[in-house]
This record gives sequence, C-alpha cells and structure tokens, in this order.
Amino acid sequence: MVATKRKTFDIFARIKRGDPLTHIGTVEAENEHLAKVYASFTYDEEDWSEMTVVDRSQIVWVKKPNWLFAQKEGRVR
Amino acid sequence: MNHTQREVHALTELLETIADHKYVLGDRLVEVGVSGPNIEATLAAIAMAQGELGHARLLYNWCFDLRGIRGKKAEIYGQTGKAFTSIVNVNNWITLIAALYATNLAIDIVWQSFLQANHPAVTSRIQKLIREQQDHLIYAKSWAYELRHEQGAIPSRFAQALNHTVNEVYVWLTEIEKKEELQTEGYLPMNINLANQFKEHLKEVAAESLVQMN
Repeated sequence: MVATKRKTFDIFARIKRGDPLTHIGTVEAENEHLAKVYASFTYDEEDWSEMTVVDRSQIVWVKKPNWLFAQKEGRVR
Repeated sequence: MNHTQREVHALTELLETIADHKYVLGDRLVEVGVSGPNIEATLAAIAMAQGELGHARLLYNWCFDLRGIRGKKAEIYGQTGKAFTSIVNVNNWITLIAALYATNLAIDIVWQSFLQANHPAVTSRIQKLIREQQDHLIYAKSWAYELRHEQGAIPSRFAQALNHTVNEVYVWLTEIEKKEELQTEGYLPMNINLANQFKEHLKEVAAESLVQMN
C-alpha cells in the first residue's frame, strides 16, 4: 500500500541507570518518527530508563561477521 | 446560572467534547486499526486505543467532579453526542488517519492554550495526558504524511476524508474562541486564535493545500 520504503530500526534499551544498553529487538517503519512510536508501543514490557532506535543502514561496522543465514541470490544458505 | 457557574459549565462542556472525541477515536482505533497496513501500525493502533479510552474516562470523571457529582463514578457506556460525525463514520484506514490526525492536532492546540493560560485548576490535570498524547500525534502526523505522498487514488481519498474532519474541527475551534467565559475566568488566554494555529500546523504534512476551510 505504502510507496515509502520501510527501513529496519534496531532498538536498544536499559532498564535501570548503569545497566548495560541491550539490543531488545527491531521494528520496521517508514521513518524514524514512526520507529520511535512503534518501539515505545511494542516493547513496553519494562519501564525502560532509556530506549533508542537506530536506523540499521546507519550503523558503522568495525567488525562484521558473515551472517549464518544470510540471503544469497534469493536462497538461504 | 451565576457568573462562576457559567464559566465552569463552559469548561465542562469543552472537556466533555474532548472526551467524546477520544472515546469514539478509541473505539475506531480498535475496529479499524486492527486491519492496519502492517503489524507495527496495527499494534500501535491498539495500544493507542487503550490510551484514548483511558483519557476519555479521565475527562468524563473530571466532568463529574465539576458538576459536583461525588462518590463512585458512573460507568461510561457511550459518548454524549458531541464527537465529530467524521470520527463516528470512520470505516477504513484512510478515514481513520484523517480523523486521528485532525482531531488530535486540534485537541493538542486546545491543551497547549490551556497550558499557556496556566489556570491552577486545569494545568495539573492535563500535563500527563498531554505527554501521553504526543506519541498519538506523531503517529497520526507520520501516517498523514505517508498517505499524502502515496501513489494512485490514495492522496485524493485522503484529502476528501481530511476535508470532512477539518471542516468540523474548524467550526469547533472557532466556537471555543468565541466562548468568552473560558477567557475571562483564565482557563484560556485572551484573544486566542485556535483555528489559525490549526491551519499553520496542517503545513507540517503539506496538507494545507488539501483542505478548503470556510
């Protein structure tokens, strides 16, 4: 239905101050504003002290492994 | 009805109208939002429905307090008949987003004016509600923007739906501006121009050209 391409956003959160910032999941959204709203409504199982959404395409990798189930030519390896 | 009663009555009527809008929006978010275009949008719609219904309940209870009804609050089984017709008639995703966006934007403008007036009896009761409503507004605004820039017949259908709600919103906001009681008691700032603020905000989703306000 929607013309805008949806992007994957990774969600990181910590429960209490001082806790590690943990990857808790992903959302797909049309833009970062919707990603924030989706993350807040979807991952509401904790009263997070901090939560961030990161556009996956903007992550700068230092080390990047080959994914175990990465797609190659339309087939799962 | 004496001087103070008239002002409290005007405030109660306004709060009850907002409660009606939120009550019906909550109902429509469940009925129509459940068939949203993707899983995230659907989950968020259901979560927002709970939020809107919670706000409606809080506002109805506030109205009971203002009318001097003490003790156990009555259960709410329906709106009082003040909700916009365009919200009541929401029956698909496009009309839902148009109604959600225009109504929440109008309500937010009214809340912000209340905050600006800083009346002690009002400010403390609406701050949490305003904070919670921000996510609803971002959601509605983003989806309005998406539908506005969609392909095919969707932008024109969205424009048509938005026009229905915007015309009702415009009349409602103009009526609020004319209620002198709300301004003399200090619930709202003097000489407010809510309808103009609403028009300005429509530009955020490039929707000002879609609507024709009388």
